[in-house]
Amino acid sequence: MNETQKDFKMQELHTPSAFEGALWTCLGIKGADTIFHSPPGCYINQHVNALVNDWTCELYSTNLSYANIMQGAEDRMETTLRKIAAKKPGAILIVTAPTVEVTRDDVEGVAKKVNFKETVIIHPPIGGSLVEGKETAFIKILDLVDPKVKKVPRSVNIIGPTFSTFNWRADVYELTRMLAGIGVMVNCVYTAGATIDQIKTAAQAELNLCIYPYDSGVLVAKEMEKRFGIPYMADIIPIGFGNSAAWLESVAGFFKIDAGPYLKKTMANAFEFISSNMVFAVTFEMTAALSLENANTYAVGISEFLNKEVGVGIVMTAVGNHDAAKRLEALCDDVLICPTIEEKRDKFVEKGPMVIYGNFYDKKVSMDEGFKNFIFSDIPTIGYLSSENCPFMGFMGAKYLVEGLVNEVYMGIFLETKGDMMGAISTGAVPWDIEAEQAMIKVGEMIPHFVRATALKKLHSVAEQIAKERGTNVTLSIFREVSDKFTPTKFKAKFSAVFDDGAVPAPAADEDEEVPVSSLTFTMPWNDEAKGMLELVPSPFRQAAVSGTEDYARGKSRDTVIGATVEEFRKELGM
Amino acid sequence: MPLKHYEHCCSTIQALASLGKIEGVIPLLHGPQPCSYQNQVGSMSCRPAQLVTAGTLVNKSDVIFGGEAGLKQQVKNLYAKYHPKVIVIINTCIPQLIGEDIEGVIIELKKEIPELKVSTCLTGFNYPRSMPLGSDAAWVAVIDTFEKQEKVPGSIGIVGRTGQDAGNLASLEMFFKKAEIPYFVFPTPHIDSMSKIVCAEKYYPIHITPWLTCKHLSENFGGEVEFIEIPAGIQGTSNFLRAVADRHKNQKLHDLVDEEEKRVMPELEKIKERFAKEKVRMLMVSGPANEVSVGKIFAEFGAEVFVVPSMKNKFYQQEKKLMQERYGVTFIEEDFDMIGDVIDRIKPTAVSVEFQAQPECISRLVPTFINMLYLCEYGYDYALDLGNNFFKNMHKPVYETWQNLVRKYGG
Repeated sequence: MNETQKDFKMQELHTPSAFEGALWTCLGIKGADTIFHSPPGCYINQHVNALVNDWTCELYSTNLSYANIMQGAEDRMETTLRKIAAKKPGAILIVTAPTVEVTRDDVEGVAKKVNFKETVIIHPPIGGSLVEGKETAFIKILDLVDPKVKKVPRSVNIIGPTFSTFNWRADVYELTRMLAGIGVMVNCVYTAGATIDQIKTAAQAELNLCIYPYDSGVLVAKEMEKRFGIPYMADIIPIGFGNSAAWLESVAGFFKIDAGPYLKKTMANAFEFISSNMVFAVTFEMTAALSLENANTYAVGISEFLNKEVGVGIVMTAVGNHDAAKRLEALCDDVLICPTIEEKRDKFVEKGPMVIYGNFYDKKVSMDEGFKNFIFSDIPTIGYLSSENCPFMGFMGAKYLVEGLVNEVYMGIFLETKGDMMGAISTGAVPWDIEAEQAMIKVGEMIPHFVRATALKKLHSVAEQIAKERGTNVTLSIFREVSDKFTPTKFKAKFSAVFDDGAVPAPAADEDEEVPVSSLTFTMPWNDEAKGMLELVPSPFRQAAVSGTEDYARGKSRDTVIGATVEEFRKELGM
Repeated sequence: MPLKHYEHCCSTIQALASLGKIEGVIPLLHGPQPCSYQNQVGSMSCRPAQLVTAGTLVNKSDVIFGGEAGLKQQVKNLYAKYHPKVIVIINTCIPQLIGEDIEGVIIELKKEIPELKVSTCLTGFNYPRSMPLGSDAAWVAVIDTFEKQEKVPGSIGIVGRTGQDAGNLASLEMFFKKAEIPYFVFPTPHIDSMSKIVCAEKYYPIHITPWLTCKHLSENFGGEVEFIEIPAGIQGTSNFLRAVADRHKNQKLHDLVDEEEKRVMPELEKIKERFAKEKVRMLMVSGPANEVSVGKIFAEFGAEVFVVPSMKNKFYQQEKKLMQERYGVTFIEEDFDMIGDVIDRIKPTAVSVEFQAQPECISRLVPTFINMLYLCEYGYDYALDLGNNFFKNMHKPVYETWQNLVRKYGG
């Protein structure tokens, strides 16, 4: 047996394959019916997952059994194809599943037999990537395009959007709006949202615009140039104010249109926006991590925009291909290519970004590590609704990116630095050890200015509260504990530099002693659930947790501590 | 007469925000609804907890017939609900205008609730153009509720600026702790510890704002007041600490300052080199008095500094003279219509202003810092942090990007 050459990862973050790529490319075409020549399990997974990201799609299946596969499933294909053909769709797009690719059914023979004129058969490669699947489908679908149509002046095709491309509707809507602003019409969006007639007349356009050059669309644009003589543009990602303007200017230049008046008006509005109070004052002190392996163009475009135009520090990026990684290395020291979940998690913790852009997995991993500020910007999402409203591309997209970032992070951090609406400000004076004071000064320097003073107040107050409950000074170990738990968002990665100093003593040995919940002193009734939650509190802090929770409950005029009380108190402390 | 006002907020907010950081004190805003709404929203960002502001919501009928009854009732309501040790009535413009008898209300309340301490301060148009003095007024009201205590021999009182200083003075406190000089700080996060300031034998204000506070402390509780200088920046901090060491004949404090200087001087030199190379021209405009203190730090780094002061009290005059003589800082005390006019005249490389000036500054593509985000600026480490990160925080490349975009497309 040959030794494997694969580098296996124990917890690999699985990414969409060529099969998803092909299906998503087909599913977005209105008026075309897609048949997935597959077993029912494959079919239902694909259908459901597509519907998580997009509003509606028509997908049919040949529902193959093991016997069908082993004995040849051409008859199932024929039956299904004839039924679909009877509906007289604008086209029938057949995508074969991996099992069928193994047995190599003669799908082409079936299609010839049924003889429905507009039939396209796509065989995604087993082991192929999402991009390969999309490009394969894009190019096959070109067979439907009429090469003899007359060119429509000042018209373009937008190449690249497919179903399940994150936020494609909003981006297409915004780019279409901008193009209309300079008098350029979108002939066809190839393929998401296009009608089958728009696909068939795609050759009418004078120019193709690849809007995801680090993902997909460039190969089909090259093919269209060869077959239909349509040049293409793929050099500017229209994300950010500057690049959106440059992109539009470039399109205008192609058509010899003067975009000056439109750009002047638009950029004046953009400039007014970035001059406003809540932009630079917040963004200049922000750091972001972008984990967008399935949205490489977004990774490049958003990183460059946030960094160059609004001053956000990009502390980490994770992408899916080397080209995107190479471009990002210019502005980010830590660029990961298809990292494992562990690598990502470790990097999030090490870098402590104030906001993370990513997909569902990133959201979960970051939440597990205590990160609170997150912006969805990649698939999979497992349940995320998007429409035309919130683009990332174009001028409106640039504004939305800033809005989304500032609103998420500023308000999140702002509220984290607050106590209760009617809560205590201080428990009274408690002496501080000098080491703890010195650490507080150093920690303060690591907190962004826009919340520094208030965040320090919270640290100060919580440290004194804990010290008072334990009957000690505010010691370095108390301040360390407080910094770790109560600082806004995730700065603790940075704080480690303060506490890792050799001069700083380790927590006292007696803090490691086990304190059973049964040995704690309760001054009011606790239900079992609430007591059970104390098991999660480190031993040295359990008694303090009991008294703090009881004070909290009394403050709320409650005579019993239940699980919900513990949870409320924990949240109030920002834990 | 200026066309705009560039301070952070009304002195009422400053009073509210400062008092709102002290446990045991509840501020009661005696004013109309817009005053309550604006001041509560405005102070929300910097108050740590107890975010709800009690108010009297003075209406038209109160203006005609007097709002004293409502005020008295609201004090009683507050006391019944929260049992604070002190209630400070913040007396805003409208009640001042109609001549409300606040003192009379307080006398009546003292009879009815002897255990409650109630005092008042005047804000609003009492300090029409010096927002930070809202703190000074609020502190005086708090001091009015203190009782005499025995002085601690050899002790000092460190008198800070606003509520933001409460609990945030570790950068100075630790020196006195190490030098074993008995000290009390004001403000602190709790009224009990704050009231101990009266035990100090000598008061050292650490900012220019608390002139009235120190005067009241001295007059009511004894003890000399000496404004040395703001302990901001390396030299400012050293001078302040050395002066205290001299006055109290404490060699240990001198030694500590020597040690600290050895630690920080090499870093300061590097910062100075960078400032000399980049030639910073810094315009500091009307902050919570930190236009003076942070301006002093920049001046020490070698920046050419222009200060539009937020106040002109006695301590300011002293600090101004010192900054002029030591660093050649320029103070702009004459009125101007718009901050843009000053920027066009001075042509600074960076400005430090309050939020409301930001759109005017950024639209001129001048790197802009927000005053209110640079607080608690005392001690050595603050200065080093400011200097080491100044050029990074300025984000010049972003401004250059926008300069190019505006040049190319307009805007």
